[in-house]
Parts: sequence; C-alpha cells; structure tokens
Amino acid sequence: MNLHLEIITPEKIVYKDDVSEVTVKTDNGQISILPGHVNLLTKVLPCEMIVKKDNQEHFLAITGGFLEINNNNLNLLADYAIRAEDIEIAKIQEAQKKAENMMKDKASEKEFRVAEAELQKALLQLHVASKRGKRKTS
Amino acid sequence: MLSLKRRIKTAQNVSKTTRAMQMIAASKLKRAQTAATLSKTYVNKLSEITKNVVTKTGENNSHAYMKKNNDIDRKLVIVLSPDKGLCGGLVFNLAREIIKEDTKNPYYVVIGKKAENVILKLDREILGIFPFGTTLPTFDVVYPIIKLVNDTFLEGKVSEVQLLFTDFTSVFAQSPTVKTILPLQFDTQENIKNCDDMLFEPSVEKLLPNLLEHYLEMILYQGFLDNYASEQASRMIAMKNATDNANDIINELKLEYNKSRQERITNEILDIGSGFFGIKNE
Repeated sequence: MNLHLEIITPEKIVYKDDVSEVTVKTDNGQISILPGHVNLLTKVLPCEMIVKKDNQEHFLAITGGFLEINNNNLNLLADYAIRAEDIEIAKIQEAQKKAENMMKDKASEKEFRVAEAELQKALLQLHVASKRGKRKTS
Repeated sequence: MLSLKRRIKTAQNVSKTTRAMQMIAASKLKRAQTAATLSKTYVNKLSEITKNVVTKTGENNSHAYMKKNNDIDRKLVIVLSPDKGLCGGLVFNLAREIIKEDTKNPYYVVIGKKAENVILKLDREILGIFPFGTTLPTFDVVYPIIKLVNDTFLEGKVSEVQLLFTDFTSVFAQSPTVKTILPLQFDTQENIKNCDDMLFEPSVEKLLPNLLEHYLEMILYQGFLDNYASEQASRMIAMKNATDNANDIINELKLEYNKSRQERITNEILDIGSGFFGIKNE
C-alpha cells in the first residue's frame, strides 16, 4: 500500500507520485505519515519536508500551507514549494543578501516584514539544498 | 499622388506598430495562460478542502465570512480592468456590465485605469483605487484589497461583495463575469459522507478562519490572473485585426497609386504623341 502525494502550489504541481512516507511540521509539531493514516486536515508550517520513496529520501522546502489526507491520498496545498534538486543555490544566496540588506536599511515596517519572510524562505531553501548530496539509503 | 504616397506610408507605420504589439501580447499571453490554468487546479483543490471543512463544522460554527448581513442592502463591487487600452471590446463589455449592474448604488473598489474612468464618469462611490499593472500580477496585490473588503464586510457596511472581472475561457472567448465572493457559499449537501471520519489538527475552529481567508485571497488572485490573460488575448486578437486592416488599406492605396501613376504616364505619352504629330502635319 502506498500514499499518493500531490504537492500543489499556485504556480505549478511540484510533486505527484506514490510514496511510502511523508514528514512535515505542523502546528502541533512534526508528524510523519505512513499509509493507512487516519483522514486528517492540518495546517503546515514552513519547514523542510521529507518524502520517502523506494527507501530513498527526497527533501523539499515548503513555506506553509494546508495538508489533507483522505484515504491515503495526500494533498498538500502550499504557498511555495521546491524540490531540493531544483534549488539554485547562487540565486537563493543572492536573495538572502538582498533580504538582509533590506532589513539593515530599516525600511518601513511592511518592507521589513517582507524582507524577513524572504530571508526565512532563503535560509530554509539553503538548509534543504545542503541535504541533497547525502541522500540516505536506509 | 504625393498625398497617396503619404497615406501608404502612414498605413505601413500603423501596421508595423500593431504587429509589434500583437507579438508582445502573444508572448505575454502564453505566460498568463499557463499561470491562470495552473492556479485554477490549486483553487479547485482548495475549494474542495474548504468545502469539506465547512460541511464538517456545520452551521452552528460558521465564520463571519459566511454570514450575510441582512440588515443592510448595499453591495461592494470589486472591478478588475486593464490599465491600458487597445484591447478590443474588453473594456467596452466591462463598462456595459458596470452600467447594467447598478440598482442600489453599490460601493466600488476599482483596479485598473480603464474601469476607474468609467466609474468616475458614472459618479459612483469609490472606496479604493488600485493600479492593475502591465505585467503578470503577483500575489501581494490581493492583500490591500482584502483588507479593504474586510473593513467593509466584517464591519457590516455591505450585504455582499461581488467581483467583476473578465473570465478567460479561451484565446477567442472572454466574457465579463460577476462572481459573488462574500458571503462564501458552498454546496454542503454534495459530499457530506466522505469527510465524516476526518480529523482536524489543531481544531476546526482554529483551522477554518485560516482556510477561509486563504480561500478568499486565492479567489481574488485567480480573478486577477484570468483578467490579465483575457486582456492579453483580447489585445492580441485586436492587434491582429488592426494589422490585417492596415495591410488591406495598403493594398488598396497601392492599387490606386499605381493606377494614377499609369494614368499620368499614358497622358504624358499622349501629350508627346499629339505634339509630335502636330509638328509633322505642319
């Protein structure tokens, strides 16, 4: 028995495949979902998401959204999601610098918050990207 | 002769410009179309989930977004329109919808220069004006509008909120559409059984406001994307027609020009001929 996982963002369908285990962070803490999980709807926080398929772990960065589990069908609606393989480190580092500079400049409160969010997003992606080299085979 | 030549030149310039605009619109359309379709899948899924949650919560638990303010009889209409013209009948159709619409003097929130002009001329009450922009709208555009909507709807100043935008059905068909976005309505009867055993974390009461807010934002954003795609498609077709028309005019004028040139040449030959025979006969 497998879980059917779909990660959908407003920009594209990031992931669509049968997997064996999914780990995300929710309001109540980190949860792992195995096949046969009770039907659930929960809010997902910005985190590093781990998807296990054929004993291989794949990493994704997501910035929050909603997760629905319905009879082994997982639908994750995220604001933004990216696979570790697709993260372009140079681009993200640039975004990180830009966000940091903006925060230093002490612009308006709104701009500051936007920059902060961008920075968090950048850091999260860098963190996830650093994992892709050591994909475990357990 | 000279004026004909000038007119041909003008028509050629027009055709060059419109062809360029057509090409720009075509390339923008491609991006807009993908964005609109992809975000539609997201919205559909989201609405499915929201529906499930709403069904589960039942009526006693409903959120302020879903209650109709019955004591007041005034609407808030959000109008989406392009900033730039030259896009065929799109703005005109939209304006017709605005004029047709009015019965009880609604409030307006206007996005885009074109609708702004129409509504200012009609002298209706406007709560907010935002630019639409000429590039693919980003998600941040919805926040100030949502804030304005919350301020009016949740404060009980209006009974419902409608969105007027141009729906993108295909490249050749776009139609102005009115959609009631608040109070949110769901067909709760439909799939009542498949979520009986669903668990909510942390709790329904905490999830629902988040979900509904996000849902509202997404509907609005979807409207923006549809509107943008419609604008580009409409402009592309309009510019294609303009280019075709300009080319027709060029052909016609060229024919006329060649005819009159030939006429002049014939006349000149006749002149020379008659002159020559005149001399010879003397």
